[in-house]
Amino acid sequence: MAAISLRKLRKTFGELTVVHDIDLEIADKEFIILVGPSGCGKSTTLRMIAGLEDVSSGDLIIGDLIVNDVAAKDRDIAMVFQNYALYPHMTVYKNMAFGLELRRAPRDEVDRKVREAAEILDITYLLNRKPKALSGGQRQRVALGRAMVRSPEVFLLDEPLSNLDAKLRATMRAEITKLHRSLNATFIYVTHDQVEAMTMADRIVVMQDGHIQQVAKPQDLYDNPVNLFVASFIGAPQMNFYPVTIRETDAGFAVDFGGTLLPLPPRLTPENLAPYEGQEVTLGLRPEAFFERMTSEHDPDMFAQLDGVVDYAEPMGPEIHLNFAVQGHSTTARLSPRFAARPGDTVTLHVDMSMAHLFDPKSERSLMAGPAA
Amino acid sequence: MTAARAVAPKTTAPKSIVPKTAVTKRQRKRREMLVAYSFIAPNFIGFAVFTLGPILFAFALAFMHWDGSNPIEFAGLENFWKLFEDRAFKSAFWNTIVYTIFVVPLTLVCSLGLAILLNQKIFGRNFFRTIAFFPYVASLVAVAVVWNMLFNPDFGPVNMALYNMGIDPSDLPGWAADRDWAMVTIIMFSIWKSMGYFMVIYLAGLQGISAELYEAADIDGANSWQKFWRITLPQLGPTTFFVSVMLTIQSFKVFDQIFLITQGGPGTSTLVLVYHIYNEAFISWDLGYSSMVALVLFVLVLTITIVQFRLTEERD
Amino acid sequence: MTVTIKRAPKARFNWGKIATYVIVILVSLTMLAPFVWMLSASLKLNRDVFAFPIEWIPSEPRWRNYVDIWSKIPLGLFVYNTAKLTVIVTVLQLLTSSFAAYAFAKLRFPYRNALFLAYIATIAMPWQVYMVPQFLMMREFGLNNTHLALICLQAFTAFGVFLMRQFYMSIPDELCEAARIDGMSEYGIWRRIMLPLSMPALSTLTIFTFVNTWNDFLGPLIYLTRTELKTIQIGIRMFISQYSAEYGLIMAASVVALIPVLIVFLALQRFFVEGIASTGLKG
Repeated sequence: MAAISLRKLRKTFGELTVVHDIDLEIADKEFIILVGPSGCGKSTTLRMIAGLEDVSSGDLIIGDLIVNDVAAKDRDIAMVFQNYALYPHMTVYKNMAFGLELRRAPRDEVDRKVREAAEILDITYLLNRKPKALSGGQRQRVALGRAMVRSPEVFLLDEPLSNLDAKLRATMRAEITKLHRSLNATFIYVTHDQVEAMTMADRIVVMQDGHIQQVAKPQDLYDNPVNLFVASFIGAPQMNFYPVTIRETDAGFAVDFGGTLLPLPPRLTPENLAPYEGQEVTLGLRPEAFFERMTSEHDPDMFAQLDGVVDYAEPMGPEIHLNFAVQGHSTTARLSPRFAARPGDTVTLHVDMSMAHLFDPKSERSLMAGPAA
Repeated sequence: MTAARAVAPKTTAPKSIVPKTAVTKRQRKRREMLVAYSFIAPNFIGFAVFTLGPILFAFALAFMHWDGSNPIEFAGLENFWKLFEDRAFKSAFWNTIVYTIFVVPLTLVCSLGLAILLNQKIFGRNFFRTIAFFPYVASLVAVAVVWNMLFNPDFGPVNMALYNMGIDPSDLPGWAADRDWAMVTIIMFSIWKSMGYFMVIYLAGLQGISAELYEAADIDGANSWQKFWRITLPQLGPTTFFVSVMLTIQSFKVFDQIFLITQGGPGTSTLVLVYHIYNEAFISWDLGYSSMVALVLFVLVLTITIVQFRLTEERD
Repeated sequence: MTVTIKRAPKARFNWGKIATYVIVILVSLTMLAPFVWMLSASLKLNRDVFAFPIEWIPSEPRWRNYVDIWSKIPLGLFVYNTAKLTVIVTVLQLLTSSFAAYAFAKLRFPYRNALFLAYIATIAMPWQVYMVPQFLMMREFGLNNTHLALICLQAFTAFGVFLMRQFYMSIPDELCEAARIDGMSEYGIWRRIMLPLSMPALSTLTIFTFVNTWNDFLGPLIYLTRTELKTIQIGIRMFISQYSAEYGLIMAASVVALIPVLIVFLALQRFFVEGIASTGLKG
């Protein structure tokens, strides 16, 4: 079985540590996505799992074996590279068959597996071409096919979609998800694109500066980011942040935003909030927490009003992204496309505070997450 | 389960037990190292024995007296002081400098000009490129013979043509046989022989310049001349640097054509450093002194290469 | 209101193009003239070689010259010796250089940079600086007057390793990594991935090595004193010193010495500019 554990895994290049003692348990057949800005250590982590980089310290366990020093070819993994790394002098067929031939698989078995994979990926008509004669999307499929034919326990994918155009990317996302279901293998996927992470992963691992920031299911990650970095990295347009002060009122805790008192949702318990009474914290509101008007579905106790001066509006088709300034803080809201506002107008918007997040400005951690471990 | 699965020996131990390691880090590192060294060894051993060793030996010999058969004696700096009394060394030194000063810029300009001409879309372009490159690959012995015949002062076709153009027989150049013309002959020969090679290097450089730059310049209204000075030449900077370093090193090493055309003469008019090294070693069998001259040559080449590197770094 | 639409005049006749052709043809003639003269003289009697005006195409070509040269000196043996040396040196050079270059470009191991620096440092070193100690050492090994000496000193050059390494650096690392995951050994990657991809570099190195070995005369001059070992370049020198007035024959022998290089060059030249461009030989 191909459960994978990273235990205090570290990678240093000379003086520079790019992966800091990370711990991660990946379940068998899970689709896990490592996401983060460039240079966060996600690719290095993947390459360590692949056996392309040495492990500086810590243990890398696949199944029940420490594989730190097992050669890449003996780890029962396959990898899809960002630039596909197809052998330019071999046909598509040969590219896909190569790994099996090297393992001395019988010729008819190789042929069957290559044709099966080509069938699934719809590239049978390309089998006799060389990579040079393929489009980007076709190369991508061949790279996937090459990984598939060996039916490995673990698939490693290093930003496999980053060289494709937006439309093709959307198609391939769906296909890779389907592949994962049909192949019955563990997928570890690296990307900087949070849309890919959100749409495909069973669990997402957010990394920054060589540290794991949070590991969670996509919706969890979106709803309950543990710190400011995760909150701002996941979600587009980004979450809006404001400096506010915690106040205790007769109705419980609230935040004071430049004189306006905003209610707080019950998930922020008095235990979370009491230590911060009178202190400044960071309020985070996603763009969809803003509304033109309240409807019957909304809980009036959780709503407040904020005034802002419109900067510009970006029509997206089904919605508009309204950029405006609230007490000098630049804010983006997702509103219905019928909302009419011109630059310079003053608008009043309703805020659903049940969606509010609060962060400790010093530790940058969510107040719900409690103090740092 | 395919063969792929069988490679790593998997234990059936329950999860709670500490996982086993298949290979230790040291074993793997050692294996990787052995593989890498096995790649390098065939070439490196030959290189170390037949090139690196002799080079170190040469540096040591510069401070020895040896005639190749009697025992080696330590000489200290005696070979070095001898340089200053050796008039042939002095000529060789200056002749090498003169040769370099003329050959480097002239070859540079000729090969760049040729490359620009042959980078245009003209009919038979590859044919012309081949012709321009051919002298470089042609046997030096053969072309030197032809050169000697063509430039024979008494009955060679070149002087015959000059005579027929009305030049007085007493004014005809003596080429390789004349003290004043021998170096000119060698320089002309060298440029003719090697410009094709540097042309190819410039061609590669020219093909690396993005066509967009020229398109942008066209839209800005630049003419061909401006495009050459503002785009082509600056973009070729690294190529020019490489070519000039190569040319300089090659010029300091000049020997073959001199050996074949003038034998260093007449007198010492085309005696160069390498020729002096050759004479001292294989004619006089003064191996220590010969190595000292070689050491001077090496220091010169090294100094000039470093200076050229510095100059480019400053410019960039 | 009607607007008359005029066609902008076409660019003037391109005098620049004409000038380019004129210069190119003149330069080509200069480059080619000595060879044409050589060929023409090789088909003439000695007394006609220097006739003026030059008769470029001999009215009575003397093909006999090309027959006579083989009996005057052992030219056939010289050609054989040169061919043997050149082929062995070129094959060894290609194999060992590309082998070593793979490690320098794609593997990590201790002292990699130091070792590579040792190669680089000797590229700028004139051969003449160490040719004397090298000669003495070969004599010590008893390799004086053997072909092995010339093979040893020409087959393991820093230039070859440098050229191949520069080319391998331009092949993406991902390709090797994919091959490693596919289960190939490093030797397999060299053989089945790198070699097939390095045709331009190998052709370039072949041209350089072949040409240098074939044309080399100082090495054979120093190492080979016995006639039966000599190469064609030394042979022609020998011919000149023995028959200095036999201009037609000398030229015929020179033409024979040029032909193999011409063939190799023409066969491989289509890779040449690409090879130079992709091996970083342009700086």
